[in-house]
Amino acid sequence: MPEPKSFKTEAKDHTPPVPSPDNHGLISAWTIALCVTIALIILLPWMQPDPYLNILRFIPDGIWVTFEITVLSISLAIVIGLLTGLGRISSNRFINLIASLYVEVVRGIPLLVQLFYIYYALGRFIRVPDLVAAVIAMAFCYGAYMGEVFRAGIKSINYGQVEASLSLGFNHRQTMVYVILPQAWRTIMPPVGNEFIALLKDTSLVSILAVADILRRGREYAAESFNYFETYTMIALIYLLITLILSKLIAIMELRLSYYERR
Amino acid sequence: MNAADSIIRLHRVNKSFGEFKALIDIDLDINIGEKVVVMGPSGSGKSTLLRTINRLEPIDSGTITINGSDLYSPKEDINRIRMELGMVFQSFNLFRHKSVLDNLTLAPMKLKRIPRDQTEALALTLLDKVGMRDRASHYPVQLSGGQQQRVAIARALMMEPKIMLFDEPTSALDPEMINEVLTVMVSLAREGMTMVVVTHEMGFAREVADRVVFMDGGAIVEEASPEAFFTQPRNPRSRIFLQQVLNPYFRSGPRSV
Repeated sequence: MPEPKSFKTEAKDHTPPVPSPDNHGLISAWTIALCVTIALIILLPWMQPDPYLNILRFIPDGIWVTFEITVLSISLAIVIGLLTGLGRISSNRFINLIASLYVEVVRGIPLLVQLFYIYYALGRFIRVPDLVAAVIAMAFCYGAYMGEVFRAGIKSINYGQVEASLSLGFNHRQTMVYVILPQAWRTIMPPVGNEFIALLKDTSLVSILAVADILRRGREYAAESFNYFETYTMIALIYLLITLILSKLIAIMELRLSYYERR
Repeated sequence: MNAADSIIRLHRVNKSFGEFKALIDIDLDINIGEKVVVMGPSGSGKSTLLRTINRLEPIDSGTITINGSDLYSPKEDINRIRMELGMVFQSFNLFRHKSVLDNLTLAPMKLKRIPRDQTEALALTLLDKVGMRDRASHYPVQLSGGQQQRVAIARALMMEPKIMLFDEPTSALDPEMINEVLTVMVSLAREGMTMVVVTHEMGFAREVADRVVFMDGGAIVEEASPEAFFTQPRNPRSRIFLQQVLNPYFRSGPRSV
């Protein structure tokens, strides 16, 4: 049963204020998570070499594959995203419609279904290597999300910048290239970074196809050794370590990109 | 007035935003070297008028001719015409990601393919002229409003335009910064630049304008020399406007006109 509302608001008044995200105090959540993750990755194999050390020896091939898929997919997704974003703000009705249609369709279908679709359904007509199919599927899906990121980033730039550029004699394309995109980049980069991390995690889905990424390698090991708990613990730690490092890199990059906004 | 000398010609220009008529049958000829100040109450269409002269606003009917080229004709290269029209905005609109110097050099380098060293030399000369040379490496956010506007004027001059359009260049500035911008504009006027200025600065209008155009409700209701306009406005609406601008604390209604 819902509580009386007045009680809730009253209780809220007494709760201490939420600390600001910038106020880390002595140690941030990020530092704690990173230290614990690294400690576990080192300590577990050291204390119990079988199976942890064996798992750690078996998985690294998969890390490379995961990175390969992530980097290839995100690069392709950025290109698709840029074109989609530009298409969505285009005054050309046809281009606009195509871009919007793409975004609507892709966002409405689960990534896993898209993966199966491109891998199995299209596999009936053209055979492509597993890795290529995985990359195409990931990029196709993330391109739509990236398109929205680009569109929002471009829209975030004050229209006065466009007018100033046009009044100097630049055409629309030059305005986009010299004035809008270099500024929008700053707004676009952080969400692109987040999409990068999200994509890296979602690449674990391709283990269902025959692509030997981190998760796939782990599953292979577990299937042989029956050490399910230990294997998935290590897999989780490896993913966590990678995303923790990446999220920090993105935060640093974000700070550096805003150089011209600092006084 | 000799029509052949007109560098800007507006003929029966109409424009509406939905139901609202922003410009009604505007006819205006501006000669080479002439300085025209456009005044009028808020919403009278003066900014819209200025923006149509640079095709930043589409028009519904009529023609605008710049230096003999039909501005709204699809056959004309709009970007080429715009190079001859410098524009200064109320909100400065400097490129935020570029330094002052790069703000100035971007357009000539990309559009006229002038080498960097030549462009930079010209940029520094113009920055000298507006008193901003020592801030060449600063970014726009590091400058005050008045400084940004002076840089914006220099940036517009980099393309060596024949006409300069000013859209309320001092309206967004703190009072103590208005003069530094007006000084630059006055010296530009003295050099013989053709200027169309939308402003409420009476002092500037008296000092440099050849003609004051007063707009109300989307139409030009009075055109006169600044001397005649400020001392003996013919149109009752001009009179009310002047009274309110000149004596902002003594708002007498139309009764006393």
